[in-house]
Amino acid sequence: MGKKKKNGWGKKHRAVIVTGVRTPFVKAFGRFLDLDTIDLADIAVRALLERTDLPHDEIDNIIWGGVILPSAAPNIAREVALDLRLPPSVEGMTCTRACATGLQAVTLAAAAIERGEADVVIAGGSDSTSNTPINLPQKAVHALAPLAFGKASTAADYLGVLAQMMPITEILPRMPKIAERTTGEVMGESAESMARRNEISREAQDRFAERSHHRAAEAIASGRFDDEVVPVETPDGWVHTDNIVRGDTSVEKLSKLRPVFAKDGTVTAGNASPLTDGAAAVLVMSEEKARALGYKPLAAFRSWAYVGVDPTDQLLIGPALAMPKALDRAGMALKDASLVDMHEAFAAQVLSVTKALASKGFAEVRLGRSRAVGEIDEDKFNVHGGSLSIGHPFGATGARMVTTMANELARTGKETALLGICAAGGLGAGAVLEAVR
Amino acid sequence: MTDLLLENESARKLIKTLGLPIPVPERLERAKGPYEERPLDDKTILVGGHGALQGVLAQVLTKAGATPWVVGKSDSVLEPYRGPGEAWARTTRRIEPGDAPEGERVDAIVFDGTGLETPDDLHQLYEVMHPWIRRLNRSGRVVVIGRPVGDVKRAAIAATRAGLEGFTRSLGKEIGSNGSVANSVFVEEGAEDRLGPVLRFLLSPRSAFISCQPFHVTKTAKVGEAPETHVLGGKVALVTGAARGIGEATAEILAAEGAHVVCLDRPADDGPCSQVAQRIGGSVLLVDITDRDAPERIANDLKERFGGVDVVVHNAGVTRDKTLGRMKPDAWDMAVDINLGAVVRITERLLQNDLLRPGGRIICLSSVSGIAGNRGQTNYSASKAGVVGFVRALAPQVADKGITVNAIAPGFIETRLTNAMPVAIREVARRMSAVGQGGKPEDVGQAITFLATPGAAGLTGQTIRVCGGALVGA
Repeated sequence: MGKKKKNGWGKKHRAVIVTGVRTPFVKAFGRFLDLDTIDLADIAVRALLERTDLPHDEIDNIIWGGVILPSAAPNIAREVALDLRLPPSVEGMTCTRACATGLQAVTLAAAAIERGEADVVIAGGSDSTSNTPINLPQKAVHALAPLAFGKASTAADYLGVLAQMMPITEILPRMPKIAERTTGEVMGESAESMARRNEISREAQDRFAERSHHRAAEAIASGRFDDEVVPVETPDGWVHTDNIVRGDTSVEKLSKLRPVFAKDGTVTAGNASPLTDGAAAVLVMSEEKARALGYKPLAAFRSWAYVGVDPTDQLLIGPALAMPKALDRAGMALKDASLVDMHEAFAAQVLSVTKALASKGFAEVRLGRSRAVGEIDEDKFNVHGGSLSIGHPFGATGARMVTTMANELARTGKETALLGICAAGGLGAGAVLEAVR
Repeated sequence: MTDLLLENESARKLIKTLGLPIPVPERLERAKGPYEERPLDDKTILVGGHGALQGVLAQVLTKAGATPWVVGKSDSVLEPYRGPGEAWARTTRRIEPGDAPEGERVDAIVFDGTGLETPDDLHQLYEVMHPWIRRLNRSGRVVVIGRPVGDVKRAAIAATRAGLEGFTRSLGKEIGSNGSVANSVFVEEGAEDRLGPVLRFLLSPRSAFISCQPFHVTKTAKVGEAPETHVLGGKVALVTGAARGIGEATAEILAAEGAHVVCLDRPADDGPCSQVAQRIGGSVLLVDITDRDAPERIANDLKERFGGVDVVVHNAGVTRDKTLGRMKPDAWDMAVDINLGAVVRITERLLQNDLLRPGGRIICLSSVSGIAGNRGQTNYSASKAGVVGFVRALAPQVADKGITVNAIAPGFIETRLTNAMPVAIREVARRMSAVGQGGKPEDVGQAITFLATPGAAGLTGQTIRVCGGALVGA
């Protein structure tokens, strides 16, 4: 028993973010059409390994996140390890928590390291909305089962199967959509209702979208993302940058778009995050290990928090509860955070959350405190844009945010960054990153 | 026998098309599932009056999912609504007194009359309600809130307070054809925190068949934690006469709120009673409640199996109708003993040794005819009016244990009992209410279940009618 285990099981370590990379985020059904989520994950992890020169035998495991999981191989993490011919000992698990999946993968990695379960973990996430499996309705599957299992032999059996397939509309595959399983509400409708209830005007939404595009375009033009985005080769050539960002957009242009989810609504394709393909990977290590291997860590988690709210109420308000909780756990106030990065599912959702955070009434009733969490300073909020402009491959977004904020802390010498993510099912996530020097 | 005017779509259309002088009752909206976090989701509620309750109303209404529109001359009336509105993302809007913007409708009107002091002040009722009453959506709700009459010495104030009840009773009769109901709530000073659950109930579809009734919210009984959903989780409820009708409906609703229901009925009703118990995951207790050892057997059974009981619903009842001159002594004794004698004996036994646990609920069944009187029902009325006296007297005695005691007085409810009535009488009885139709067993079940909840701590010693605003009785 006295023998010290390699990973120091149970020994306290600080988990640090060493670095992160991602593929360009690309409009769905576009340039990454031929790359499924495992391909995208392979590309991101390979790039991470190349950029860090990480000895493969140092890797303990991969924790990957995905929302649209490939039904034939849902444990993407293990597939990546095998695809990249990493040592067989590199084990893998895949997690899912809707749009907070990427952050979940990274915090799982940090938790495993801090528990002493592992020293070196690759965490991240990917999604290919272009390769969403289209399932046959259960009715068709059940009717076809006798054929698949060889139970049907006579012509009558086959006729029986056919008969069950009527009417034809009931067995046609249905278009997948981002709808709540319990309420059937499409997420855009939820955003629409949040916009109405929180009185977020169309103009405010378009203005926020414009800001997101302009900031992201500026970051791309200045080379700010070069360290974290790797070019990807596709059969049609190389993809170097995110292709959803439009630096030339304006409130005027955005205001011409028609509302999508309600006739007299305010949510448009311009102020909602688009369907996106992409992957992001983060290298997480125990601080000792990172230093021993000669890396310079960028950041560490001071805290994180996941919450749930009633999905039939305000589906995407979760961050308004999760971010204060994460701040509390970090022993901080909102004003102490040098940067704030919030996932932009919809401009209406971001503005609803910021409005709630600034509300004394919300703080009193929903958080049980006497003062508002606070207003977020424009200069430190989503400094390089967000999911509206950069795009939102569901499983990758959290890992993208961690990477961008870790780099930002390292580059600017700032101390802390607060993250916030809303997710389907009424989930919310918050986390506080601190700089590691 | 089904209600043709309610159930048969062709008959309804025909009458409306031909313009026949037959009022077609409006189908009442009823609750579909168990208690919800936001029973008033997306409902627009007009709030008028400037009493002491604006803060409470703001909290309760917005949390329950409603959007309050506040009647007032300046934006300062919105002040109490601002914080809670932000917390639950329900933005309020100010409505100019006497004004009702074109095309706007509301689902409910709540009037806070706790600030009224003189008969002149009653004009505010008119001012708030008059422009909107015909803009009330179907199955709408009106709730008028005031202070209890008995609390003041000055007669003018008492008169003003009493006026609210009369107003509400008449208004209920006017809006019944729209499937809407009106009730008044009198909140004792210091009992404001108990108003919330009562409001949630009265504004929700759970109170579809309650109209023209006064509710008295008092601080008499001790209050505990009051959950908003799964309101009876972990509670044990005894329902007598659970095999069918109102008892069955009540058992089902209690169980849906998380209670373990002990279904009690006569041994002869073993079959249907067991079926009910099985369906709702409850247990069966076969006892004839008129047996002299029945209280002891019930007490022992509850003690052994559950260590006690939290909710007791005395639902079992019979009618043995005959005019007094023709009534056999058996008929008298039976009705009075089942409806009242057994209720008293069983209750007294369950109150011994805290078998009815602290925070417990006793709900007895009275009857509108017990209150109003009915030819051929001297025995029945004696027993059902007796119940009213029983709950009134018992309530203060057990209040310090947090136990409440109330009675429900159903009006015309579509059950086996009323189905046996002669057609003509039944048809008349059905229409003799503000909503122009009979109630369903579930309407009574909902009222009983509400009284059984921890949130109903403000109501005790009362008899609440579930009668659709019946035209008879007080």
